[in-house]
Amino acid sequence: MKIDRRSFLSLGVGVAAGTALSPLPWKLTDDLSIWTQNWPWTPVPEIGESSFVNSVCTLCPGGCGISVRKVEDRGVKIEGMKGHPVNQGGICALGLSGLQLLYGPTRIKTPLKRVGKRGDGQWAKISWDEAISEITEKLDGLRTSGNSHTVAGIAGSRHGTVSQLFSRFLTAFGSPNFFHTPSIADTYQLALQHMNGVSAAPGFDLENADFILSFGCGLLEGWGSPVRMFKANTGWKKAKARVIQIESRLSRTAAKSDRWIAIIPGSEAALALGVAHVLIKEMLYNKDFVDNYANGFESFVTDNGEIKKGFKQTVLEEYSPETVSRVTGIDPSAIILLAREFANAKAPLALCGKGQGKVPGSLNEAMSVHALNALVGSINRKGGVFPIPAMEVQGWAEVGMDTITSAGMNQPRIDGTPPNSLGYINQLPSAILSGKGYPLNVLFVLESNPLYTMADSKTVKDAFDKIPFVVSLSSFMDETAQYADIVMPNHIYLERLEDAPTPMGYNKSIISLSKPVFKPRLNTKHAGDTLILLAKGLGGGVAEAFPWKNFEACFEQAMGDKMKTLKKNGFWVDSDAVLPDWESTFNTPSGKFQFAPVEFSPGFAPIKIEGDSTFQLLLIPYETMRLSCGYIANPPFLTKTVEDTILKQNDCFIEINPKTAQSNQLSEGDVVVLQTPRGQARVRVHLEEGIMPDMVALPRGLGHTAHDGYIANKGINVNHLIGPVQDPVSGMDAAWGIRAKLSKA
Amino acid sequence: MKQEHGGVVTQKYGMVVDLDLCTGCGSCMVACMAENNVPFREDETDKLKSITWMRVYKLTNGKHYPETDICYLPRPCQHCEGSHGHSPCVSVCPATATDYDNQTGIVSQIYTRCFGCRYCMGACPYHARYFNWYDPIWPEGMERYLNPNVSPRMRGVVEKCSFCFHRYQAAKDKAHLDGQKEIDEDAYQTACTQACPAGAITFGDLDNPNHAVHELKKQPDTFRLLEKLGTNTKVYYVSSREWVRRAGDNYLKTEGLKKAVL
Amino acid sequence: MSEIDDKTQAVSEKAVSSTQGQGREDGGSGGVIILFFIVGLVASLVVGWVLFPKLLYSQKKQPIDFNHTLHNTLVGNGCESCHSFREDGSYSGVPKLAQCIECHEEVQSSNPEEIRFVEQYVKKGIEVPWLVYARQPDCVFFSHAAHVKAAKMDCATCHGPIGESESMKPYQQNRITGYSRDIWGENIGGFKKNTWDRMKMDDCSECHQKKKVVVGSVQTQKEGCFVCHK
Repeated sequence: MKIDRRSFLSLGVGVAAGTALSPLPWKLTDDLSIWTQNWPWTPVPEIGESSFVNSVCTLCPGGCGISVRKVEDRGVKIEGMKGHPVNQGGICALGLSGLQLLYGPTRIKTPLKRVGKRGDGQWAKISWDEAISEITEKLDGLRTSGNSHTVAGIAGSRHGTVSQLFSRFLTAFGSPNFFHTPSIADTYQLALQHMNGVSAAPGFDLENADFILSFGCGLLEGWGSPVRMFKANTGWKKAKARVIQIESRLSRTAAKSDRWIAIIPGSEAALALGVAHVLIKEMLYNKDFVDNYANGFESFVTDNGEIKKGFKQTVLEEYSPETVSRVTGIDPSAIILLAREFANAKAPLALCGKGQGKVPGSLNEAMSVHALNALVGSINRKGGVFPIPAMEVQGWAEVGMDTITSAGMNQPRIDGTPPNSLGYINQLPSAILSGKGYPLNVLFVLESNPLYTMADSKTVKDAFDKIPFVVSLSSFMDETAQYADIVMPNHIYLERLEDAPTPMGYNKSIISLSKPVFKPRLNTKHAGDTLILLAKGLGGGVAEAFPWKNFEACFEQAMGDKMKTLKKNGFWVDSDAVLPDWESTFNTPSGKFQFAPVEFSPGFAPIKIEGDSTFQLLLIPYETMRLSCGYIANPPFLTKTVEDTILKQNDCFIEINPKTAQSNQLSEGDVVVLQTPRGQARVRVHLEEGIMPDMVALPRGLGHTAHDGYIANKGINVNHLIGPVQDPVSGMDAAWGIRAKLSKA
Repeated sequence: MKQEHGGVVTQKYGMVVDLDLCTGCGSCMVACMAENNVPFREDETDKLKSITWMRVYKLTNGKHYPETDICYLPRPCQHCEGSHGHSPCVSVCPATATDYDNQTGIVSQIYTRCFGCRYCMGACPYHARYFNWYDPIWPEGMERYLNPNVSPRMRGVVEKCSFCFHRYQAAKDKAHLDGQKEIDEDAYQTACTQACPAGAITFGDLDNPNHAVHELKKQPDTFRLLEKLGTNTKVYYVSSREWVRRAGDNYLKTEGLKKAVL
Repeated sequence: MSEIDDKTQAVSEKAVSSTQGQGREDGGSGGVIILFFIVGLVASLVVGWVLFPKLLYSQKKQPIDFNHTLHNTLVGNGCESCHSFREDGSYSGVPKLAQCIECHEEVQSSNPEEIRFVEQYVKKGIEVPWLVYARQPDCVFFSHAAHVKAAKMDCATCHGPIGESESMKPYQQNRITGYSRDIWGENIGGFKKNTWDRMKMDDCSECHQKKKVVVGSVQTQKEGCFVCHK
C-alpha cells in the first residue's frame, strides 16, 4: 500500500464530488450573491405602522398646511395638507425637504457657549440653566444700570405669537429696539396707511382677478404665499385670465405670463403712472369709484390753505406715454395698449414687490400701483385689493410699566425711526457703526439670519463686531449663530407649537396651527419657553409681564376662543370675511381713498442705486423656488434641483445676455470677476437670451459660509455685492440692484 | 377600454402633464426624491451622475431677446410600451432586471437583480435611467426619514422612476382589505402628481374612461416625446405653444411638425 | 495496410502495454485511491450537510418564550386576534406591546415567562425585540391582504403550524446574508415537503404559476417582477 500523488488527487476528486453533492456550493453562492446586494452601509428603513399628522409649515411665511407621514415615530415624508385653504394640498420643494432639516447635521444639539474667537466655531456645551443664568445676569446688570435700551432683538417676522412674545420681552425689559426681517409687506402696509388710512396688510383677491398686471413680482418664484400663487396661476390659465409681467428678466413668472414686457429696472413706478395717464386721458378709469369713494383726484386746498395738485393733474402733466417711454424703455404704443387692456378687464389687479418681495422697495412704487388699482375701482371689490387688519394678540395683559421699563422705552430707537414704527433693520448697521447714538450691548436673534440675509454682509459683520454680546436662538448653525456668544437652540418647526399668521397678500385673515409632530430630538427648547425663563430669571416687572408657566399656556391665552377651532381643523379662517365695508376700508379724514395724501403723493422719484459710470453693467439679484434665501438655508434635496447653469461644483453663474457677453468678449462658462462698489466675487458666465442687455443677474440663496457641506461654500451670496439703498420717502431698503463690472479672472 | 389579459382586468397607467401650467418650481423632483429614498451627495452639479428620477428640463425657443421664451418640461420615466411591451430598455436588459408589466403598463426595475451593465441607459432615449456611481450615504441621523416602502439602492445598479409603484401596492392592499376588485383613481397617485402645486400633472389609467387622463390625452395640443421612435410612451404632454410641441417631438429644426397624436 | 498505419498501431500498442505494466507494479494502490476518494467524499458530505449549516447560522433565543397554543385557546379570532391588518390594508405582523398590554397589564398566571415579560417589558414600557422568523429581505414586498383576504389562504400555508407551537424555536440567522433561516428553509439542501418549508422567491413563484395568478411580464411570460419587489 502506497500513498502517492494520485491518492491525493483521488481525495481531491472525492472532496469535489462530495462538495458538489452537498448543499455547500449552491447555498454559499446564493448567500454570497445576496450578500453583495446588501452592503452593511446601505440602510434598511424600519417598517412599521404608518400615520399622518397635520400641521403647518413655517419654513417660509407662506403658511401652508402640511401632512406629515410617519412610520412609527419616524417622519418619512411631508405632503401638502388636503383641504387647507392656503395651499389646497399643494406643497413647494422646500416644504417637501423639511425632514432633511429635522434630521440634518446642521441642527444645534444643545446650548452652546463660545470659547474661541468669535466665528471660529469653538464651543463649549452648557446646560440650559447655565445659559439662562448667564444671560439673565448680563441683562440684569444692564437693566439696573439704566441701560435696558441697549438691548436689541431681531426676529424673523413681526407677526405670530412667538415674535410678539419676543417684542413683549424687549418692551417689558425696557428696550424699544425690536427689529424684524423686512419685506414688501412693510411697504404695502405704509401705502395702505397713507392711502386708505388703515393699519393693515393688503389682501389680494387674486383668485377672482381676470387681468393681473405684475410689476416685477415673482408670482411663481415665491412672492406672497408661494403655493397659493401656483394655484392662483393655474386658476388664471383655466379661466383665461391674463397675466402681464413687467420685468427686466425672463423669470419663470415672465415665461408663464401672457405677455412679458421688459422694463429698465427701477422705473416701474413711472410705468404705473404712465398707465394711469392713459386711463385718465382716455376717460377709461372707473368714474364711480373716483367720484364717490376717492379724494385727491382733482386738485384741492389743504387745511393750511395750500393748493395741492391732484393725482389727475400730476399724472397728466408729468407721465405721458412718451415721457414714461424714455425712462422705462417701453414703447409708448405698448403703454397705451396696456392701459386700455387693463381698463377693459372685468377685474384688473396691479401688484408690486420684486421677486419674492424680500426687499421692501420703493414706497413711491407701491403707492403708484395701489393708485392704479383705485383708478379702475379694484379696491374693496371681488378680484381687487382690500385691507386685512393686522391681528394683534388679544389675550395678554398689558405690560406693566415700571420706572426702568418706561425710561428704557422712552429712549429713541437706535435706527432713528420713531417709537412704535416698524423699525428699519437696514439702518441698524450704519447706526451702530456711526457711533452717534448709544452703543448696543446685547443682541438677541430669533428665527433670522441677518449676517446672511442683510445687504452688504461685510458692514453687517463689522456692526456685529461692535456688539459685545450676541445671543442666537436659532435651530441651525447658521452664519449668525456661528457668530454668537451664546446659542440657545430652538425646537425645529416640526417639534414646536406656534401659529402661522395670515401670509402676505392672502385675501382672508387666517391662522394655522403648527403643532409638534415629533418629540424634540435634541436638547433644544421652544424659543417661547426660553423667553419666559429669561423673564422669570430677571424677576420684577419683567417676570410679571410673563405670568405663564410655559409657552403653551401663553399660546392658548393668545389664541383665546380660536384655540378650539385651531385644534379641530388645524386652521382658523375669518369665515365672516366678506368684503369689508367702506368705513373700515378707508379710515382717512375724508373717509375716502386718498389719491394724494397730504403728507405724500405718488410720484416717480427713481431709487438711485450705487455705482458710477465706470461700472457699465447693472447687477440684479433674482429668486427661484429652488433656492431658499431667507433664514432657512437650502436642504440637500432642494440644492439637488438647482440647474447646472446656476451652480457647477462650487461656482455660481451670472446670467448675461449673449450680446453683452460678446461685447465684453465673454463666452459660456468663462470665469470672471464680478465687481461692484461693495465688493467682488469670482463667478462664471451663463449666456441667457432672457435678460435685458447690459445687465447681469445673480440668484439669492447661495454663498453660505455656515450650515453643512451640502450648501456651504457653494456660489456667492449676492448680499456681499449689494448694499442697502434707503428709500428717501420711507427710509426702508429699496435697493433693487447695483452697478457692476466684469473682468476676466 | 379595459383590456383583458390572461383573464385579468389590466390597467395602463400613464400621465398627462400640462406644460402650460408647469412653472418649473421643482416640487415634483423633490417629492419624488423624498418618496423614493433617492440619495444625494455634497456636489450634485454633475447632472449626468445626479440621480433625479423626475427631472425638470428647461426648453427655450432659441430666439433672441426679447422674443425668447422658456418652457419647463418634467420628465419621469416615460414607461414606454413600444410594440407589445418591448420598450427600449426592457429589450436590451440581459439580467431580466427591468421588465414591462402588461397588467399595469409599468416598466419595473429590480435593483437586486440588476448587475449594472447600463445597456438600458444606452437604450433609453429619454435619459430617464440613472446609475449609482456611488454608495448611497445619508448623513448621520438622516437615514431616519427613509421610506420603508421603497428599498434603498446599492452602488453599481441602475434605478429610475417606477410611477411610485409601491403606492399601487399599498392601494391594492387597501382594496383587498375592503373587498374591492379595482383601485379608485385617487387611491393610487404618484408622489409628483400629488405634490405639484400647479396641478400640472394628472395621473391615472389611460384606458379607463372614468379616469381624467383618458380624456386629457385626447386634447388637441397633446404630444409625446420622440414619438417617431415608436417608443409608445405613457407620458403625454400638453402645450399650447407650437415650438414646445416641436421641441418635444423632433431633434432637428428642419423636420416638419408632426400633428398632435391621439 | 500502409506504412503509416503500422506505425500508428505500434505506438498505441506500446501505450497500452505501458499502462498495463504500471498497474501491475502498483498492485493494491487502487484500493487506496478508492479509499481516499471515499474519505474525501464522506468528509465533504459531512462538512456540507452537517458542519456547514452549523457554521452558517448563528442561533438566538427569542426574548420571551411565547406559547402560541395557549394564546390560541384564549383568543376568539385565531391568528388575526393578534396578527391583524391595519386600516390602510397593511399587515401589522408581530403585535406591539400596546396590544399585549390589553391583557397583560398585570401578571395573569404563575408562568415564569409571563412574569418576566410583565416585569421586563410591560412595566418598563419597552417593546419586546422579537426576532421575526419570516422577515423577508428589504427588496421584497409581500401583501398579506392579497393572500389572506383576496385569495383566502390560510396562514399555515406559508407559516406552517406555528399557531400550535408551545414554545419558540431558536431564531437562526444566516451569518452571510443576515436573513432568518426560515427563508431558505430548515433543510439545508433546500428540499421541502410542505408548502411552508421554504420562503424563497421560487416558492412564491411556484404557487403563483400553479394558480395562474397573473401573466404580466413581457420578459418572462410570468408575473411582473414588481408584484413582489420594491
